[in-house]
Amino acid sequence: MSTISRPLQAKVYAALFVIGAACMAALGVSAGAYFVPSLCLLLTAWLVWQGRGLKWFSTILNLNQLSALVLILVLWLGEGLGVAKLNIAGVALIGNLLTGGPLMGALAVPLLVKLHFGSTLKNWFGAARA
Amino acid sequence: MTPSQFLRAAGASALALAGFWPGLAAAASLTGQVTADGKPAMGAMLTVFNEAKTARETVYTDADGRYAIRTSFGGKLDVRARLLGHADARTSLQLSPDQRAEQNMQLVAHATPTDRTAALPASAHNARLPWASEKERAPFISQCNYCHQIGNATTRIPRSHEAWLDTIGRMEGYLAMVTRSEADTFASVLSRGFDGKPFEAKHDIGATPELARAKVEEWLVGDNMSFIHDMDVAKDGKFYGTDEGHDVLWVLDPKTGKTERIPLPDSTLPVGGLFSGMNLHIGIFTGKHGPHSMAEDKDGRLWITNALSSTLMSFDTRTKAFKTYPVPGDALYPHTIRIDAEGIVWFTIVASNQMGRFDPRTEQMTVMALPSNGFFRWVSDALFPTLLRVSSWFPHKVLLTQLSHHKFLGYNVLAFPYGIDVNPKDGSIWYAKLYANKIGRIDPKTMAITEYDTPMKGPRRPRFDNNGVLWIPAFDEGGLMRFDTTSQTFETMKLPGLAPGEYETPYALNVERKSGEVWITANNADRVLRYMPATKRFQSYPSPTRVTFLRDMAFTQDGKVCSSQSNLPAWAIEDGVPSYICIDPTGGERDRQALAR
Repeated sequence: MSTISRPLQAKVYAALFVIGAACMAALGVSAGAYFVPSLCLLLTAWLVWQGRGLKWFSTILNLNQLSALVLILVLWLGEGLGVAKLNIAGVALIGNLLTGGPLMGALAVPLLVKLHFGSTLKNWFGAARA
Repeated sequence: MTPSQFLRAAGASALALAGFWPGLAAAASLTGQVTADGKPAMGAMLTVFNEAKTARETVYTDADGRYAIRTSFGGKLDVRARLLGHADARTSLQLSPDQRAEQNMQLVAHATPTDRTAALPASAHNARLPWASEKERAPFISQCNYCHQIGNATTRIPRSHEAWLDTIGRMEGYLAMVTRSEADTFASVLSRGFDGKPFEAKHDIGATPELARAKVEEWLVGDNMSFIHDMDVAKDGKFYGTDEGHDVLWVLDPKTGKTERIPLPDSTLPVGGLFSGMNLHIGIFTGKHGPHSMAEDKDGRLWITNALSSTLMSFDTRTKAFKTYPVPGDALYPHTIRIDAEGIVWFTIVASNQMGRFDPRTEQMTVMALPSNGFFRWVSDALFPTLLRVSSWFPHKVLLTQLSHHKFLGYNVLAFPYGIDVNPKDGSIWYAKLYANKIGRIDPKTMAITEYDTPMKGPRRPRFDNNGVLWIPAFDEGGLMRFDTTSQTFETMKLPGLAPGEYETPYALNVERKSGEVWITANNADRVLRYMPATKRFQSYPSPTRVTFLRDMAFTQDGKVCSSQSNLPAWAIEDGVPSYICIDPTGGERDRQALAR
């Protein structure tokens, strides 16, 4: 039986997710909604540490990016949407918080790039599944 | 408020509503002397109530304790003498039409230290709060004195730390913006400071010969749940007040004393309008529009900002017809409104950091973003409307406080463009940003914006004098700022407190254009201040009403300065209901001269 040791990238990102979760939890003490992205960041930290659930992991990252993009575009260019503008923005905001919030947004960009073009993290998730 | 007070207040309102004004045709005059502890009392207030107790007139005694008052009342009239530090003296007189009577009043010390303490204004009570520093107190002044006094009989009830936290949480439902640690500090200080124990306070009420020249008139308007935000004096001579809670205009004809209740047209929005996600007081906020500020145009139309529905509304004072115009652009809380010489309607939009411009001729509305003043305020400008929309999906849950970054960064994450006025010299539009501590100028032709940092914090509702000088109340620092728009220089002055350590919370001011004198709603010590630039002197006018919290000030054509009693809640005002109040700086002197003949 062969084992793959946990790559540095997984360790670094798991640590960053935990730090992000701690930051969000600290904000959550004052504004409770921030506990939601904190929990999501903890979940992703666990996934990347364990190398499990690549599908879930990448879905969370993609949804986070998508919701952020929708939020920004709607707030920036959505005047023509009328009353629906803030409804769409609100759904996007909730979606963004559920998927880790703005800190996840910052971490997700390099991670998605690495998952798409690199092999280390992909192998790590694959090895753990095997 | 006791049940009997409630019934009395409600009854008084009902009488006023019905136009019941007995004895109006009659007019009684009183002269006499007020003594305190056996000596002539200077600066005492002698108040005559009409028979229905829906209106009253007050004069101030001179150095000999003498007063003279001509009233528009007749019948069985209550008379009250009041002077800070003494128990009220009261009597009733039956006066036939045009009868003149002599009535002396004797004031004595309060019976107990508890009575004496209870009669002190809010400023005396909240001056005892044990703040560690002025920095610690700053957000308290900004957020907790925002809509009402802290330290009056309703707001100084001794409570535990936990009970104060509950109260502060309730206030957050009305949009008070405090961080978690600020709330904890406030609760700690309030629970220790408001202990219900009697204390001594020595006050200088500012009794002067100038005070003895003045006369005050008050009319009860609305009910004990009314929230009459602003009042304006229209060209028809009537007073119009916006009941922000009930979506009602309260109209008073000061000549007859009759009041009229005019409901605004309905809206498809839920109760609370765009702020339905907040936990606005259920009894007070029964409406959807939230009429807030008013300005009258040359055609006799009142233009009203509806804060909760984000609409602009016109009201024709002759036909009583309303017309509604939605304010576009995610506008949140259209606030103070003014009309320039071209007839263009300008208004600040406070919670979304915008300025509205409306041309009544073309019915074109423009909303322009104001500078964000920093990263976090930029985030607020971008996201605050969305946060409120999300909050509205969960009515009364105040989700905003769980989502907004003000909970950890403080109220300063918003810019809050608040007061506004038009420079009579060049037609430029000027606004004050309450939380960003800036004033700004908009060129009405190019729309170019220039902003200036204010030297004092909390610039609230500024006004121009005839010379293009902008006078600005500094709410957070109890000050007055003077900005010369030509030289672009500030002067600052602290408002005098009733006693050392006491402070004022100046909400609004207005400049009497002929004299250049500045009238300021002091709001923390039940008085109005008048600043005379020629002598650089303040004159204090004690209010006949305990819990005096006034908003915008307007002038009548005969030189009275008027405002609305706008404390939240209205039932905490001494009368239990709001009122319109007018100070005539020379009315007392005229009465004295007329009765001396």
